[in-house]
Amino acid sequence: MVSSIPVIRIRDTLLSAIQGDLSDRVAEAFQGDLLSRLERTGASGVLLDISALDIVDTYVARVLVETAQMARLMGAHTVLVGMRPEVAATLITMGQVLTGIDTALNVDDGLALLALPRR
Amino acid sequence: MRSESQPDYMRRLKLDADELANRRRFFGITQEDLERLGALRPVAERHMTSIIAGFYDLLLEHPRTREFLGDPQLVNRLQRAQQSYFLGLFDGRCDLAYVEDRLRVGHVHERVGLPLKWYLGAYNRYLQLSAAALRKELPLAEAQLAEASLQRLVFFDLALAVDTYVAAQIETVARHRAAVDELSTPVIRVFDRVLLLPLVGTIDSARAQGIMETVLKRVSDQEAKVMIIDIAGVAVVDTQVADHLLRATAAVRLLGASTILTGISPQVARTVVELGVDISAMHTRSRLADGIELALSLLGRKITAAAS
Repeated sequence: MVSSIPVIRIRDTLLSAIQGDLSDRVAEAFQGDLLSRLERTGASGVLLDISALDIVDTYVARVLVETAQMARLMGAHTVLVGMRPEVAATLITMGQVLTGIDTALNVDDGLALLALPRR
Repeated sequence: MRSESQPDYMRRLKLDADELANRRRFFGITQEDLERLGALRPVAERHMTSIIAGFYDLLLEHPRTREFLGDPQLVNRLQRAQQSYFLGLFDGRCDLAYVEDRLRVGHVHERVGLPLKWYLGAYNRYLQLSAAALRKELPLAEAQLAEASLQRLVFFDLALAVDTYVAAQIETVARHRAAVDELSTPVIRVFDRVLLLPLVGTIDSARAQGIMETVLKRVSDQEAKVMIIDIAGVAVVDTQVADHLLRATAAVRLLGASTILTGISPQVARTVVELGVDISAMHTRSRLADGIELALSLLGRKITAAAS
């Protein structure tokens, strides 16, 4: 399955920069793509870079959390990186705290977090 | 003519033709009133000097107002302004230009800091003196009609004066508010990737919103990993304040940084527990120094004694 969101492998980590509109179809294709890559590569970490997203609505938030949960079931640790301040403020206002998904400021920090021994 | 420094009250008070018509209706000012007053202009001119003198007698009788009028130059200027104001009542018009002129008068008094109570008291004296003059000049029935017309117009003026005072106050409050807002979220960089926000005073919803925005922006701009919020100076920590802090913590986490809450007094600790606020998601320390040590340890660093 091929999605319009590229998944890049860096050593033991899969990196995806999410941008543009995340439609139902794109989201599903992306999840499928990511999970099959996890299966093939046995990667232990996933970085979801959302620094290009101006808006994260409840739908996108749910997709992100679910993606992290799916990856965890397959044994990978997901870190969400690069959220913009205004996006964070809006999510909190909506009562959406993205429970259960780790966060980091940028890809660098995300990689550092993934390199730590698993909690 | 409006001086440059005078704020545009006409616009701010939305005084357009509609509003003017509304006010005139409400105060019961008819064309008849204006014509009646216009016809009395010669009478007004004759009595102007003595009425204004009587008006100043009142002001000079009272120690507080006398003190206020201590500057002879000011008195001189005021007296001249007073004449034009007084005669304005007998111009036989009540249009937008008239309103603008009245607003200017209110503005001038507000600017020199004349309290509203004196302003209103002085208006009262004005009416009394004018009524006395009218009764001297006119048959009783006509004088009463003229008094009533004058009273309507004076009350119309008063409303405008009060409006300028209120508008000026609102503006002052807004200016102070902006100044306070600027000072209310001083984010300090205490160490590489560690920020400190010492909070002082009262936290209401509006301020909490500002705090949230500033904190997120600074964390993102400076790529901070730890945000220390010191609440030692916060006057009251209730459920609402705790909730604001929790939300800020959650938002900071979304960016990928941690929050440490310091300056928690025994009383605050007690309140938070008694209120049943769940702050288990937050790192907390009593002393700021401990908070800084914790921040460093989150960065994998620590403070050690210098080898002697």
